[in-house]
Amino acid sequence: MTSVEQPLERPGGTAGEPEVRSAPAPESVTRKLIAAVGERWVIREPEQLRTYEADGLASYRVRPGVVVLPATTDEVAACMRIAYEAGLNVVARGSGTGLSGGALPTPGCVLVGLSRMKRILEVDLANAFVRVEPGVINLDVSKRVGPGGWYYAPDPSSQSVCSIGGNVAENSGGAHCLKYGFTVNHVLGVKMVLADGSIVELGGPVMDEAGYDLLGVVVGSEGLLGIVTEVTLKILRKPEATRTFFATFASTTDAGNAVSAIIAAGILPAAIEMMDRLAIVAAKAATGLDWPDVAAALLVDVDGPLAECEHTSARAIELCTRAGSIAIRVPKDAADRELMWKGRKSAFAAVGRISRDYMVQDGVIPRSEIGTVLQEIAELATKSGLRIANVFHAGDGNLHPLVLFDARVPGETARAEEVSGDILRICLRYGGSITGEHGVGHDKAPYMAEMFTEADLDTMGKLRCAFDPDNLLNPGKVFPTPRLCGDRPGLYRPHATELSGDADRG
Amino acid sequence: MTSCERRAPAPDDAVQGCMPRAVYEPSTIDEACAALEDLSRQEHACVFVGGGTKLGLGAAPTRLDAVVRTRKLARIVEYSPSDQVVSVEAGVTLGALQDRLAQDRQRLSLDAPWPARATLGGIIAANSFGPLRARCGAVRDLILGVSLVRADGVLAKGGGKVVKNVAGFDLPKLACGSLGTLGMIAAATLRVHPLPESTEVRVVRDLRAEGVPALIEALRVAQLEPVALLARRAHGTRRFDVALVFEGFGAGVTEQVARLGTIASVDALDAESASLFAHHRSAREGAILRVKIAALATDLFAVETALAPLSRLFPTAELAWYPTLGIGFFSVPSADALALDDATHAAATVAALASARRELAARRGSLTLETMPDGLRGRLEPWSAPTSIRLHQAVKSRLDPEGRLAPGRFVGGI
Repeated sequence: MTSVEQPLERPGGTAGEPEVRSAPAPESVTRKLIAAVGERWVIREPEQLRTYEADGLASYRVRPGVVVLPATTDEVAACMRIAYEAGLNVVARGSGTGLSGGALPTPGCVLVGLSRMKRILEVDLANAFVRVEPGVINLDVSKRVGPGGWYYAPDPSSQSVCSIGGNVAENSGGAHCLKYGFTVNHVLGVKMVLADGSIVELGGPVMDEAGYDLLGVVVGSEGLLGIVTEVTLKILRKPEATRTFFATFASTTDAGNAVSAIIAAGILPAAIEMMDRLAIVAAKAATGLDWPDVAAALLVDVDGPLAECEHTSARAIELCTRAGSIAIRVPKDAADRELMWKGRKSAFAAVGRISRDYMVQDGVIPRSEIGTVLQEIAELATKSGLRIANVFHAGDGNLHPLVLFDARVPGETARAEEVSGDILRICLRYGGSITGEHGVGHDKAPYMAEMFTEADLDTMGKLRCAFDPDNLLNPGKVFPTPRLCGDRPGLYRPHATELSGDADRG
Repeated sequence: MTSCERRAPAPDDAVQGCMPRAVYEPSTIDEACAALEDLSRQEHACVFVGGGTKLGLGAAPTRLDAVVRTRKLARIVEYSPSDQVVSVEAGVTLGALQDRLAQDRQRLSLDAPWPARATLGGIIAANSFGPLRARCGAVRDLILGVSLVRADGVLAKGGGKVVKNVAGFDLPKLACGSLGTLGMIAAATLRVHPLPESTEVRVVRDLRAEGVPALIEALRVAQLEPVALLARRAHGTRRFDVALVFEGFGAGVTEQVARLGTIASVDALDAESASLFAHHRSAREGAILRVKIAALATDLFAVETALAPLSRLFPTAELAWYPTLGIGFFSVPSADALALDDATHAAATVAALASARRELAARRGSLTLETMPDGLRGRLEPWSAPTSIRLHQAVKSRLDPEGRLAPGRFVGGI
């Protein structure tokens, strides 16, 4: 289960003493890697390797065999070839902020860190794209094009630290997906290195490259298909106006009804975020915001051309009022608005203020079921004796229930894991998904078999085999059980009738 | 056990002149699986056909034993207006779906050609789209889930029924534009949107090729947000008329249209757009030779230059251009068909197409033959081959190892 350690207070540990397996890479491999990227960028010392043992999901830790930090596509390709020839697993890592254990090393793997590849290679405002290296920080794209009035839309809460490469691997979302879509809707092309070290380009700034939409498959493939070394991103012109408001409610059901009413009125807000009482308490504790003590709150953004925006925000406020909103706050200026959003975006970390440990889930449900599902989650909390805070993207039904627990209490970790699993099962029962934006990773791989049939997983596995027939890349992620690729099918051979000229051709 | 009946082919079951030996018309997804299993047992090759509006796309099949028609898979399986999600079988036509959605004041934000005939399965397989793509994206941006019947008759699902979902590899996107070469698209789940309260169209007339990207730039500076943009170069001219569609709530739309009139590069606005859209429709639906062009949006002048030899050969051809997408269609109306019967003219056409493709490729662009007369078929690759062709072949051979699904129809002979 996704267990997030408290920031600052206890770096490097949570939920008991995790097992750290260690298997250094063979000396011959290390030597070749040093030749490829330089000694300084090959990390072997156990103390230094510790940094790479886990990503944002710190309850799982595995020491990689060696960490290599290439600086160019060619260097990535060289590293991949070396690993390929040695038959070693490769795990890619961006900023290490992922919450599903997607960058969790496998014992003895070559971990390829992309943090040195952080150049913005091309900016073409007239054609609305930028081309960047994978280590570029999400927010730095918007910073670069912001002065010209542009921005990069996907905005995961970790956007000030997470990398574009990681966003591509996870198909990251964010608060504004509801209107603007996910990473996959904003990636125009990638250059990537495959398991055998070969380099391919998929898509680019010009649309509709002939062939399969392999780009759409690569985005969100969680490091199983290759390592992306360049990404062409669509950028958007900033909207003329944005209107934000914060509405409080006496119950999550009322807040859920307000969301439904807004959507039913044909309004497509840029974001509708919901927080329940516990999440509000945590956010207040972390940021000092003067939010009231209420059962539920919505944070809503509408944006677009001024007149349209004014109209839709007024209408959304009216609908919230009609749905029983206790009070509605409108930020008095940009700084005030930013503060409101800071409260929301820091919510996960803020929960660390009110609980020693917590696990965050990422299930999705049809948004019309929000009220019902939250009730079921509340019942789970009562039954298990654990507190559950809810912070989520209400507009698209993407829940982030945070299960609070204390790992020092015997049995509580196991209970929290059980509750988290039950939450995912509730989501599936309502026709939803086990993950909306954090990815399956290591963490939720066991639940894939509950969401998909064996035939579904087998088909996805075949796709993986086309990219990585030896299953060298990021094993143990996404798929619940290891699966082999079998023989490589030969290239297409014409059928006998075709050769003999029997095929009908009228 | 479910089975699927087969029947003898009729003349309209031919695919690019290839006549199948048998036709399957499954009316349930179980029957579709049975049909594919049957074909697998017999090692037969097949092509999937929906409304048949895009059969001109791609090459002729190198082998064709059977056609599998989806038109009896015509159920809207599940529609939840409050979740803005609809699940349909592959044979539902775009028009039928829009009629149903309109009852709940919603729509699929996709205005592909031939709505009365084109099926959702076909639209997905051919990545078909219309002007709304500018704002609402292509079918890849609207599809949430897919049910694919594999070459071996196994049903595989990808994606789901919720608007946000990153679990597993994105089979729905893989299906988009795959032209029936990876599996039969049996059903799909799509995101739908509310119908706009208000819609206004204005036409900016008589722009030179360079003026079109300049207009886009001016719109961006003014932060206007049209949902669809469509430029038309009428035959025999070098001038573009650009239609801008604004949608939303009344007040917002009125304000945007008013402001459009004040931006620098716009001299006059015309509210009459019917003829432009009528021409657009015939260019997308009715041509004898239709070429899809993709280039950087700012390269319209270069596109015109690359197409100049073709334009001279076909003086009645029209160019439809989606100025924010950088995609256009060069369409030769049926009336020019006679010219193509002339062998010299046909050879010159092939040369002009090849040179346009080279010039576009040099600027990161591409050229696809979407519809062509028999006289040209086989003389030029329908697609500009992607550089990742080996990876494409690997995907194909993993999912259809015997090469029985639409063999030879797709890029690089896939």
